[in-house]
Amino acid sequence: MESSSPATPILEVATVTKRFGGFTAVDDVSFRIQEGEFFTLVGPSGSGKTTLLRMLVGMEKPTSGELRLRGRVINDLPPNQRPTCMVFQSLALFPHLSVGRNVEFPLEIRGQRSGERRTRAWELLKLLHLDPNRYYDKNIAQCSGGERQRVALARALAYDPEILFFDEPLSALDARLRKTLQKELKDLQRGTGKTFCYVTHSLEEAMVMSDRVAILRSGLIEQIGRPDEIYSSPKNAFVAEFMGEVNLLPVVGTGDATATWDTGRKTLALALPAPLPAGAAKKLLIRPESLRFLRADETAGNTLPVRILNQFSLGSRLQYHVEVAPGCTLTVERLREERVTGDTALLGWDLGDSQLLDA
Amino acid sequence: MNAAAPQPPPEPAAAKKPARELAPALLGLLSASPFGLLMLFGFVAPLLCVVWFGFMPPKTFSLLQAPTLENYRTIFDQTYFKSILWSLGLAGGTVLVLLVICYPLAFAMAKIFRGGAAFVTYAIATSLFVSENIRLFGWVIGFMKKGVVGGTLAAWFDLQIDSLLYNVPVIILGMVYVYLPFMLFPLVLGLKMVPDQVREAAFDLGASRWQVFRRVDLPLSMPGVLIGSLLVFVLSVGAISEAKILGGQKVVTIAADIESEFTYAQNWPLGSAISTLFIALTTVVVFFALGRFDLEKLLGKKPSE
Ligand SMILES: Nc1ncnc2c1ncn2[C@@H]1O[C@H](COP(=O)(O)OP(=O)(O)OP(=O)(O)O)[C@@H](O)[C@H]1O
Ligand SMILES: [Mg+2]
Repeated sequence: MESSSPATPILEVATVTKRFGGFTAVDDVSFRIQEGEFFTLVGPSGSGKTTLLRMLVGMEKPTSGELRLRGRVINDLPPNQRPTCMVFQSLALFPHLSVGRNVEFPLEIRGQRSGERRTRAWELLKLLHLDPNRYYDKNIAQCSGGERQRVALARALAYDPEILFFDEPLSALDARLRKTLQKELKDLQRGTGKTFCYVTHSLEEAMVMSDRVAILRSGLIEQIGRPDEIYSSPKNAFVAEFMGEVNLLPVVGTGDATATWDTGRKTLALALPAPLPAGAAKKLLIRPESLRFLRADETAGNTLPVRILNQFSLGSRLQYHVEVAPGCTLTVERLREERVTGDTALLGWDLGDSQLLDA
Repeated sequence: MNAAAPQPPPEPAAAKKPARELAPALLGLLSASPFGLLMLFGFVAPLLCVVWFGFMPPKTFSLLQAPTLENYRTIFDQTYFKSILWSLGLAGGTVLVLLVICYPLAFAMAKIFRGGAAFVTYAIATSLFVSENIRLFGWVIGFMKKGVVGGTLAAWFDLQIDSLLYNVPVIILGMVYVYLPFMLFPLVLGLKMVPDQVREAAFDLGASRWQVFRRVDLPLSMPGVLIGSLLVFVLSVGAISEAKILGGQKVVTIAADIESEFTYAQNWPLGSAISTLFIALTTVVVFFALGRFDLEKLLGKKPSE
């Protein structure tokens, strides 16, 4: 995927490492961002996302490795000389300036005349669905969270950067507003054709917006790829788990395509989608929607008698928590029409719907 | 209130309710009263006495006479305005010098030093434990003819210098030294209020270090600048020891004038009149400064019109 792209990357991160004292926050990370791409870095808290981003905008220097912008090494270029700009999680708006003056800030620094500045700020506010007549003179303190978000974005766009970086800018907003802004952000990226590099701890958010996603885990990149690639073939259990509610069964091979699953009280024999050497430990990934309840006459690759513990409504679907053995539960998601009743049921899945992953 | 809402059952202790609502106000008043009384008898009453005394005939000691404007006439006829200008000038100079000295130090303490800031704070606060006059006499010993500075230069470099005392710069030096903590600490607090990310954002948006200072640090730390300047100005405009001890008779400040009217000249009404005039003048200067810089607006709490 990476090498198939003919264009030279706009930004190349080559074996970049960042250490704070003895602690390695970013460990030998390499990736390329293509021009016009929406690239997202995802990882749990403390995985080094902010540190990596701060190096990309120049607020932090890599301990080793190189950052190349259109082929030019920019390790030592300070942020005010880089054609990149960052939207902070805190937004970092200027509290003493009005909305309009905030947006005009980078233009003022560049020495543009006040008339031109005002016109441009007016355009940008409109682009971000903020009525300039109402918002231009408004104080930052009077704006809501979503409005501030848009002001921060307008300010960053006013700088006219080649790459726009975002550090979890939506995490402080409520779920609905976040969804709206995610779509707007994607539209904006398409509309302006700019390269966006986004950081979030939510893979779901990353999937919605991104062309490509990189998954970070304690300073290391676990997987890079298109959202559907990552969804359909996660590289390991960490990536799979990060994607949301999935069932990951620790299995130990017993030769050929069979394995045992130690549930704690009971050891169950399972059929696998692929051969696993005897004694090898892996994780078996089964998505909640791949699990189904079987009628008495039905068969599947694997069948297990289960006890139904709980049932939750997810709108069009129902989620069940079922117990395979005492203290060992699986998550099942079925359509509402396939509702099952009773305490016990027969659970099954097809071998092709499960995947063997490295732990 | 929604009229359809069910009425709460009548409280059994309904009669008690107003008393309970009154309680916080009463408590507040009560807890404020010691301070209120202190201000009333320790500040307002004497101040009113001084103001009234200023209208009594010169060189008298009773408040029960027909008021007259004679003292004020004397003030404007004589050269007291010179002392007033000296006091305002020295105070203004002190504020300016302190701003220049303290801002970088405060910046370092707020943004750069980590554990070091606490050490600097203690070191500077400790100097306040020693009486101001003692510290000033220390300077005298340092700067007088054949003092620590002159003596050392003479002994080591065979350089003969005269006394460094009794001039305006040395007075300012003394005031700067004495009032430094009153400028430094508000500035540190003011600069701590400037969010790091806002500074970084400005830098990221293309601003140079100077532009970040001009457009972010300075406006956002203005509350500290203002409070520090006001404190130092008000304290140093009434200062008397620095000019007396380090300045000799070179400069007479208004505070010294007032003191001599009350003691040496035994002209309490004239002393009171000068005090009244000077308090009024300082108040005007301070309120003018406060009006020029609206603290709330600087902090972004109020819409800028
Ligand atoms: N200046 C620093 N000095 C020392 N350690 C640091 C510094 N900055 C970050 N770290 C450490 O580096 C690790 C990664 O931090 P970083 O802020 O990049 O995480 P993150 O992925 O952005 O997390 P979050 O999602 O919580 O924002 C953390 O363990 C953090 O403690
Ligand atoms: Mg972070």
